[in-house]
Amino acid sequence: MDPVIQLDGVTKEYGADRGVFDLSFTVERGEVVGFLGANGAGKSVTMRMLMGFIRSKAGRVSIGGLDCFSERATIQRSVGYLPGELACPSDLTGESFLDFMAAMRGCCDRARRNELVSFFELDPSVRIRSLSKGNKQKLGIVAAFMGSPDVLLLDEPTSGLDLLMQRRFGELVRSERERGATVLLSSHVLGEVESTCDRAIFIRCGRLSSEACAHDLTLDSTLERLYGADALNLHWGAKPIAGRRDVVRADSLGTLRGGRR
Amino acid sequence: MMRTLFMRSLRSVAIVMVILVVIADMYIASVISLYDPSVSESLAVMQEAMPELFAAFGMANAASTLLDFLINYLYGFLFTALLIVLAAYLSNKLFASPLKDGSFAWILATPCSRSSLILTFVVVEAVAVALVVALCWIGEVAFCEAWFPSELDQRGLACVNGGLFVLGLFVVSLCFAATILFKNAGLGLGIGAGVCALFFLMGLMGSVGEGLAWVANLSPYKLFDPYSLAAGSADAFANVALLCGAAIGLNALTVIVFMRRDFSL
Repeated sequence: MDPVIQLDGVTKEYGADRGVFDLSFTVERGEVVGFLGANGAGKSVTMRMLMGFIRSKAGRVSIGGLDCFSERATIQRSVGYLPGELACPSDLTGESFLDFMAAMRGCCDRARRNELVSFFELDPSVRIRSLSKGNKQKLGIVAAFMGSPDVLLLDEPTSGLDLLMQRRFGELVRSERERGATVLLSSHVLGEVESTCDRAIFIRCGRLSSEACAHDLTLDSTLERLYGADALNLHWGAKPIAGRRDVVRADSLGTLRGGRR
Repeated sequence: MMRTLFMRSLRSVAIVMVILVVIADMYIASVISLYDPSVSESLAVMQEAMPELFAAFGMANAASTLLDFLINYLYGFLFTALLIVLAAYLSNKLFASPLKDGSFAWILATPCSRSSLILTFVVVEAVAVALVVALCWIGEVAFCEAWFPSELDQRGLACVNGGLFVLGLFVVSLCFAATILFKNAGLGLGIGAGVCALFFLMGLMGSVGEGLAWVANLSPYKLFDPYSLAAGSADAFANVALLCGAAIGLNALTVIVFMRRDFSL
């Protein structure tokens, strides 16, 4: 057992039962873990704490034994990050953005970068403001992977990618696992988690709800873990059953609230 | 300091800085072309007749030399307003906009300490102000020497522009601090730029209305007195040093807040 990513009793509150609460899990070295939750369940908040963007109110968040907030500069040398709500400086071309990121990160493996660009069929000469959502996502993926980081934190990485690119992304993640990289990948796509991850962690309303082997996941079991059994019984046009509505509302709070945290 | 970030940040604001300088230099040229000691006497007569109107545009004193003329027509209104525009633009381009659209996440995700990141932005701020003031100064000297050779008091102008640089530093530091201090960067920018504009208007009000001098005295802009700086007054330099201290204090606050705050990006 060699845990690389560790959260131990982590709490970050945003009021009105929003945030993450007493969250604990680990990701072992070389493991690819899917991080699943409804919209607003706390996945992005967790990713931001791991990146040292925000500080937890209680508990400890660490990567490689180092505190993610106080030692973020050291940690980020070996971390590749893909934000959930991807935005790149729109005044740059893809090429100049990758140059900027490579210089800031001190990575000089041009060959790997070119390999990634051609694998994802990205034209980096185009100004970012002119790129489609999918192409911006490809650019973000190249920026996150080009330094061959030991740890990858990927927040909804295939958002906006077409089917072929999703498949190629899966191949890339599997090859990173073979290289020995540790990956935490948040996703809403069951197929992606099944095909790329060893294990899945479920978060519901900011709390760890369950864990499962990624290969054992089925659509129904995943939905139940994400939203609770009661939420699945709510259908369009069906009359609400007395006493059930509150349960559904509570379990679906994250989805209903949506948005960023 | 991060050299890559410094160059990238400076390049990203270069075009607008050039536009501001070109507009300022065109205005400088048109003001200098109007300089004529005999016309100055007529203007002095008009100024005596309508002191409030002249004071409203920061032209409160009669100009007897070319330097006084420049101070009267450029430093009371144009340059001060230009610095507020520059401060709002820099704060928006370097902080508010990237924080709002989320692209700042890429900068935070680099293996650089937050202190080195924010200190780089502070250096960008200082260099941007220095460049704008220097290019306007070059314009002043070039046009004055072209049309009125050896008539400009160069030493006096250097002192005035030194003070203007410090005033610019203060204004930009105030906008930066407000943008970083508030969780909503757009709101912070609005408050920072609004406070700068308020100080500016307080200065103008104090020179227009009778009995309103106390309003101007409340504004930090009062610490920048170009006439006294041109005359080499020790008090004027002490006031500029105070302004410089305030700018350093604001930057220190920005650094401390930036290192501790959460960024939900």
